[in-house]
Order: sequence, then C-alpha cells, then structure tokens
Amino acid sequence: MASATATYGQKESSDQNFDYMFKILIIGNSSVGKTSFLFRYADDSYTPAFVSTVGIDFKVKTIYRNDKRIKLQIWDTAGQERYRTITTAYYRGAMGFILMYDITNEESFSAVQDWSTQIKTYSWDNAQVLLVGNKCDMEDERVVGGDRGRQLSEHLGFQFFEASAKDNINVKQTFERLVDIICEKMSESLDAGDPAVTGAKQGPQLTEQPAPPHQDCAC
Amino acid sequence: MDLSSLQALEREIVLEVLRRDKQLRTIEEDRIRRMKYELQELRRRGAKSFARQYGERTCARCQRPLGKFWNSGAVCRGCSHRICSKCRVGVGATGWKCTVCHAYRDVKFRSGEWFLEARAKKFSVTTDKYEMVGEKILKTYNVLSHISIVPPTPPPYLDCPFLSRSGHLKNSKPFTKSMEDLMVSFTSHIRMISTSQSDVRGDLLRVDNNRRESCFNYSSQKSLSDTDISKSHNLFKGPSLPNLFKKSKDSDQEGSSTGAEEETSYGSEYSGGKRGSSSSSVSTDCGLFESIGIVGELELALAFNTNKSCLEFTVGACRNLSYGDAKRKKCHPYVKLYMLPGKSGKMKTTVKKNTTDPVYNEVLKYHIERNLLFGKRLQVSVWHSGSLKRKVFLGEVLVPLDGWRFEDKDSRGFNWYPLCPKAESPDGGAVEQYVGDLLVRAKFSSNHQGV
Repeated sequence: MASATATYGQKESSDQNFDYMFKILIIGNSSVGKTSFLFRYADDSYTPAFVSTVGIDFKVKTIYRNDKRIKLQIWDTAGQERYRTITTAYYRGAMGFILMYDITNEESFSAVQDWSTQIKTYSWDNAQVLLVGNKCDMEDERVVGGDRGRQLSEHLGFQFFEASAKDNINVKQTFERLVDIICEKMSESLDAGDPAVTGAKQGPQLTEQPAPPHQDCAC
Repeated sequence: MDLSSLQALEREIVLEVLRRDKQLRTIEEDRIRRMKYELQELRRRGAKSFARQYGERTCARCQRPLGKFWNSGAVCRGCSHRICSKCRVGVGATGWKCTVCHAYRDVKFRSGEWFLEARAKKFSVTTDKYEMVGEKILKTYNVLSHISIVPPTPPPYLDCPFLSRSGHLKNSKPFTKSMEDLMVSFTSHIRMISTSQSDVRGDLLRVDNNRRESCFNYSSQKSLSDTDISKSHNLFKGPSLPNLFKKSKDSDQEGSSTGAEEETSYGSEYSGGKRGSSSSSVSTDCGLFESIGIVGELELALAFNTNKSCLEFTVGACRNLSYGDAKRKKCHPYVKLYMLPGKSGKMKTTVKKNTTDPVYNEVLKYHIERNLLFGKRLQVSVWHSGSLKRKVFLGEVLVPLDGWRFEDKDSRGFNWYPLCPKAESPDGGAVEQYVGDLLVRAKFSSNHQGV
C-alpha cells in the first residue's frame, strides 16, 4: 500500500544541505529485482516477498562522494508492460539509468536490447547506463553467464556489474559507479560546451593560451 | 501519460508518489532560487562598477592594482577580464577561472542546469520538462477531487490555469492600463535581475511569459494599488543563468550608464525614498522596490488539528534580520502569512519594536479541510513596519503543505528556515504555467540623472 512506499523520513527529502541532485531511473523486466535493489540500497532492507510496483515510485538518499554531498532521487519503475506510458515519461528527467536483468531468467536478458532502445529514444543523448545482472546469489539457477552480460554491455557501451540485492553484493558499488560517471559527464558538459569559452576546442583540457586581452575603449 | 487505464487504488498510489515528487521539487526550486540569488550578489560585489575610477590595470574582481611585470594578471577565459592571481580558482589540471566565473560554473552544477542544457540539445526547450507530466496529472486529478468535494465552489484562483485562462481575458483591464502595469513590472524586474553593473543598457532582456493568448495574469483586479505589481511578477520566472551571465559579461566594464546603475542597484542602501513615483503606489507586496539585503532565519512550527480541521502555524522567532531602516538602524519586524495559490487567509503577527531578533511565539490558525491542502503552499514573509506605513520586505519562506507529514514528530516541532528573496511567482503558479519567452529590449538613458 501507499504507506509502505513512503517509509523514509521527511528529513531526508526536505534536506537542502547537499551539493548536487542526481536523478536515477531503474528499469528492466518485471520481477528482476529492481525494487529490492533500491530498498537494499536506500534502506538496507530486504524482503523475499514479491510485490509488483504500481507505476512508479522513488526514494531519496544523500551520499557523500568525491567530497560532495549528492542527493539521489532514485526512481523505481514498474517492469510490467501496462505501466509503460507512465514509466517512459520519466526517462527524460533521469541523468543515469540502471538497466537490470535477472541472471536466472533468459527472457529478462534478451529484453536488455529493447530497454536500451527505449533509453535511446526517450532519454537525453548522454544518458549514462549501468547494466546489472541481479540475483547473482542464485548461482545454481543461473542461465545467463557473466561473460555474456559483459559482452553485451561492451556492445552497448554500458558498464557492467553482477549484483545481489538479497546478499547485498555490489549494490552500493553499482550506485556509486553510476554517480561517478554522472559526475564525469557533468564536468565534461561544461568544459566542452562552455558558452563562455570562445572558439572551438579540441580537447577537454584548457591548455591553450587564453584569448587576447579584451581592449576596452578608455575614453 | 495518463492514468485512465489504472484502477482507482493504483491511481491513488501513483498520485501519492507524484505528490511526494512535487514536494521534493518545490524544495529544490527553493534551493536553486537561493543559489542564483547568492550568485547575483557575488557578481554584484565582485564586478567593476562605475562609481569608482578604474584603470586598465586593476583586477576586475578585487580591484587591486595590477603590476606591469610582477603580478600583471591574466585574462579569465570566462569573462575576458584581467584577473589577479588571488582571484582565480583552479579548474581541471591547468586551467583556472576567476571567482565569479567559477561560482557561475558551480551553480550550473549544483542546480542541475548543466543537465537541462545538455538535454535541450535533443529535446526542444519548451517541452522538455518531464516534470510537467506529473504536474499535469496532479492538476487534473486535483481539480476533479475539488469538484467532487465541494461542488458549488468554483476552483480557487489560479488553482487550475486551464480553466481560469478564459477568465483572464474577460477581466483584463484596458490596454493602456495594462501597458502601464507592464512597464512597472519590467522596471521592477530589471531592478531585480540587474546586478550593480550598468548592464541594463542595450541588453537583451529575456523575460518569461505566458505565451498563451492571455499573456497577463491580470485577473480579478481589485484595486490598482495593492496587487498590480506583485501580480505582474507572475509573468517572470527568475532570469535564467546564461542570460544573467551574458549581461554581466558585456557590461562589467562599461562605465557609461551612470544613472541606470543608480536606479537599478538592487541593494541595501537604496531602500529609502529615492524611488520613482511614476508608478502606482508602493505597496507591501512590491517587495522589489523596498527590499533590502535578505539575511536571517525564521522559526516556524506547523501542526494540523484534525478535530477542528485547522492548520496551526506557530511563529516562533526570527534571528539576524537585516535592519528595515538601515540608515537609522531600526527594525520593527512582523510576520505575514498567506496561503498560496490564491493568497487567501492573510494572517499577521504583532509588530516587535526595535529588534532584529524578534520573538513572537504566536499561533495563527487557518481553517481548511485536510484534503484541500493539496497543492497549497504557505508563504511566510517578514516585513519591517516603518514610519508612514512604509513596509520593507525582509525575506520570505515558502513551505509546501501537501505531502507535509503532520503526523511525524520531526515535522511538528520548530524548524529554522533561512529567509529568501521574493519568489518569482507569488501565486506559486508561474512555474507550471510557463510556456514561452518574451524577448524585450530595454534601454536606460543616463542623461537625466545627475549623479
């Protein structure tokens, strides 16, 4: 019910004491473990019971990374097709994505390509994506090998993690990696396209001589 | 995106999420507003201004003289000004920017503007706000629930822009009057966005506007005096960063438009009676005319009395307020509360004399059904009550009320809120209503001013 989705304190969301705010979206087929993944990260809790997410939900978590306080608004989306119109509306606002599949479910892995297309369609051009194979604690039931996941991620240009929300493997690392990549993109975005810098630049480094001094008319 | 395919319960869950998101965004907007204000302040302080004599060889930021050979300064890539070595901040491995350009860059990061700009490359700017989606849905369902609960009452003012738009047209004033008001609001807007440089001259000033056929929110005009100016602020959102920046860049060293500078400085020293009397009377709501440097904090507690269906605001105290009358170092502060949108339920505390740290501990009550709190915001403003009924704006706080967890222990106690400069949208509606830009060129002639 609604009350269960709003368990975090008001303090966390109304806190203004942070440097950056990043919005992250978790997508993937139904029942791959998106909600569990988020709950593990945000609340460090886990319940094996499967409750299908209705439409969308989000949690807020503030972390300290690279000397900055970063407030994350992490959107959890419903994997079910019937909510697709709602979830895709939120792609635009996301700076980064966690695209998740279930290593014990071949179908969820095959769908990765489609999800990636969705991101390309609905999100900004520089969207950062992390591919995550969840449920890596269930080695016995694995049907998608780690190397296949890695290959696909390289093909799509994403970074890759295998993780387990249940055993808390690589959950924090996933989010932190994503935050790091977004931070990188953020710095690049201004250094490359800084409107204040005159003339075209080749590299990201500001190594050239500064522009000639601006000669003002001294009347 | 629409919720029509969902069942009632599902819809309720999604709406609850959207409400929480909206609350988060309101808080974030507040933070960004303050950030941009601080940037403006920094730029105002750190820029060359006409008032003093500057040679070529001074640092544009600290105004210290630069030597010919030793500490000769270098040109900042951002603003093309000559900057001494102390006013630089390292960027990347070898680069640097001057303090102001660096702060500008930092604000872009911290406000998330870098992302909006990058995204605008793919999606057109006018439609790129994904937030609009949730916003629209919230509005739609909010309106429905309003009607179902209180059928005879019309929706509150501006609660639903779609409906009230037609009303604007009908109620608009004659053209000349509107133009006059418009000029007043431009003037005040220019004051608001100009820093102390002489940047008004020949600049392109972008103001956001409702592009719809009824551009001006001049609905329900009661009298000319009190509300016109603040209403017209609905037209504007805060200036966007690039525009602000462009302006100051062009003008930092342009020392010619003396009068404009004097007129437009949005600062503490000019809160006195220098203001032009051309416009309609200066009222308590046109804070920009009478506002001063915004500092200080306000202590507030909120509770909802379920038995009486009543919101109870306890205004605790303020601290570190600026002097409402800076010359005489006097301050008689009081606190005023409004419910937004619609500016209903005006409430005031008593006036405390001769203090910048007033203690009120007054409880103000506002009767409202809990479910009507949706979409409402509380505007808490602090004013100095001067002589001859002159009011000076000392700062305000906007508190989103929907989604407020009155049950939480945390949120029931007193909280200190930093005071902010006036919101661009006193009715809380301009942000959602923004659908376009209006490009205006303003020019101030300095000849008439004998400064």
